Amino acid sequence: MVQNHHGTVGENKGKRPKFFINDHVDILIEILKRLDCRSLCVAASVCRLWCTIARNDSLWENLCFRHVSPPPSSVRSVVLALGGYKRLYMGCVRPVRSRLGRVRRASWARDEVQLSLSLFCVDYYERLGGGSNSNGRLVGESSPSSLMFLCKPMNV
Amino acid sequence: MKREHQQICGAAAAGGYGSSSGSKGESSSTNKGKLWGEDRDSGDMDELLGVLGYKVRSSDMADVAKKLEQLEMVMGTAQEGGISHLASDTVHYNPSDLSSWVQSMLTEFNSPATSNLDPVFPNSDSNSAKPRQQQIVGSNQSQVYNDDSEYDLRAIPGVAAYPQPKRIKTSGNDSSSSPTESSARPVVLVDLQEAGVQLVHTLMACAEAVQQENLKLADALVKHIGLLAASQAGAMRKVATCFAEALARRIYGVYPQDSLHPSYTDVLQMHFYETCPYLKFAHFTANQAILEAFATAKKVHVIDFGLKQGMQWPALMQALALRPDGPPAFRLTGIGPPQPDNTDALQQVGWKLAQLAETIGVEFEFRGFIANSLADIEPDMLGIRPPEVETLAVNSIFELHRLFAQPGVIEKVLCSIKTMKPKILTIVEEEANHNSPVFVDRFNEALHYYSSFFDSLEGSGVATPSQDLVMSELYLGRQICNVVACEGVERVERHETLAQWRTRMETSGFSPVHLGSNAYKQASMLLALFAGVDGYRVEENDGCLMLGWHTRPLIATSAWQLATAE
Repeated sequence: MVQNHHGTVGENKGKRPKFFINDHVDILIEILKRLDCRSLCVAASVCRLWCTIARNDSLWENLCFRHVSPPPSSVRSVVLALGGYKRLYMGCVRPVRSRLGRVRRASWARDEVQLSLSLFCVDYYERLGGGSNSNGRLVGESSPSSLMFLCKPMNV
Repeated sequence: MKREHQQICGAAAAGGYGSSSGSKGESSSTNKGKLWGEDRDSGDMDELLGVLGYKVRSSDMADVAKKLEQLEMVMGTAQEGGISHLASDTVHYNPSDLSSWVQSMLTEFNSPATSNLDPVFPNSDSNSAKPRQQQIVGSNQSQVYNDDSEYDLRAIPGVAAYPQPKRIKTSGNDSSSSPTESSARPVVLVDLQEAGVQLVHTLMACAEAVQQENLKLADALVKHIGLLAASQAGAMRKVATCFAEALARRIYGVYPQDSLHPSYTDVLQMHFYETCPYLKFAHFTANQAILEAFATAKKVHVIDFGLKQGMQWPALMQALALRPDGPPAFRLTGIGPPQPDNTDALQQVGWKLAQLAETIGVEFEFRGFIANSLADIEPDMLGIRPPEVETLAVNSIFELHRLFAQPGVIEKVLCSIKTMKPKILTIVEEEANHNSPVFVDRFNEALHYYSSFFDSLEGSGVATPSQDLVMSELYLGRQICNVVACEGVERVERHETLAQWRTRMETSGFSPVHLGSNAYKQASMLLALFAGVDGYRVEENDGCLMLGWHTRPLIATSAWQLATAE
């Protein structure tokens, strides 16, 4: 039995070269670039290599601007400075898109991103305040919550 | 002769209705002649009942019969303890007047009758004109007003609060009082609604009393409001409690409440910012107008009349940073009140903004000005550069209405603004008229306004009452206290409507700038984000944007520029 198996494998080895996706990272990146958020997160749990790639911010940049014409290059530096595309997507773009899903119109795609950027900036500003400015907050409360309204569950 | 007559009447009163005709029959014959003698004057009294000692007009017979039927039904359904008082406490004048006597017994049972056609807040003008539509039998919480009450609840307009405007208090021959217009069967209404309407009426009555300086009555009414408010739930209770507290403060002359640390009010406003979209709406729409005014300017300067935590400016700075041809040099001048402990809150905010600016690559400069009132600011203090060099925008979110507290101040400030020569002036104000010199008008307007506000907070999709919600309610509660309880210089929440602002701005030499479709789109999107809440509405009103709850606009954003002399 075992010998047969060996034999089969040996035959296969001889017939065609083995293709292992992890050897071709550029192809892998091209594929992962086109995934949606959920699939990307699932992909991140496959193996270490995929995890590293999935965490790369440029993949998330594609997610953010998927339905929008290419943004000006200045956006990237701003977003990276404010915390990166993954944070922008998870914190702002995704909730905004899902909330607006019901009433969305095609022309709103760009405005959605702009709104997400504004909210993202406000959130960053609030997070700035945590350490230094303790006058403006009650005792024991340090988490910025200007985006909390996006996290609240929807009443279906 | 008269004594026997009274005896019969007394027996009739104590023994309930119509059930002891037997006992009366014996003594009736002796009095026949006398009674008939008396009755001959009034002519149309029913003879048979008259013999028993009851004065009933023949024409009223059908009505009286109906009422007796109703009374029987009511007594059948009333709770055990509900009728015992009839034997002892209540006083019925002139019980021989069967019609009105049965009437009074019926109304003793009934909960406050309401004309349930109106929505929860009827206008106070229509109260007096409202006739009682139906007799309504309450099930559990029938409110019975005994005569031994120390105050006269009849002051409350409308029949909702005090159920017997037709009750005979004098012992005159008022049997001509017409029976109630209703001919319908008793209807059972939900007590909550009745109590709600009653609550509103009581609030308005209390305001009337306060205006007429009838403080004893007002005091009693306030206590009554407290009781009624406890029976309500949700937004209605909170509104009622806030207003009751404010009225109590006014009555007792305990003018708030203040000398609160400004950072505490800032905290309240922060929570308000996070809970509901009003402030976000204000910031985003004003920012959009400012952004459009700045267009391609290379140097820009913004003067903020109320910096607070500076939550408006990150979004503007981000939009400037992402401008197609690069960000301008951005200067911000923030004005704020003095802090009791001498900490420089303005500088801290400025520092945070500077950090943000550095992160996103915008050239930034900040100056803070501490001033008790906007009138103290002189244009030359602010280091304003000529319009060719720097484009200026002036921004005021919920600040200008405070200036009405002192005469002449608003004109001075508007003049100063004109000398600054801004490219655009953005104003966001509450859309309500809380500055009427008549207290009752102010009160009623505020009641409607803040009820809508609290309603919107209630419906904001927060599953459990969170700290944010409580803080937001506190924030609004302080405003309510100020509108109702304060007077003179201390009353700073002097809101005016958009129409009033328009007139004022145009006569001061400003012309309106229309907020474009971009602002409208952004505002609509922002509101759509507040999940599960369908009540918010954005309206465009001749170039100004208004955010409201259902049909009631609550805040309005408008933009102005100097009217060029042509």
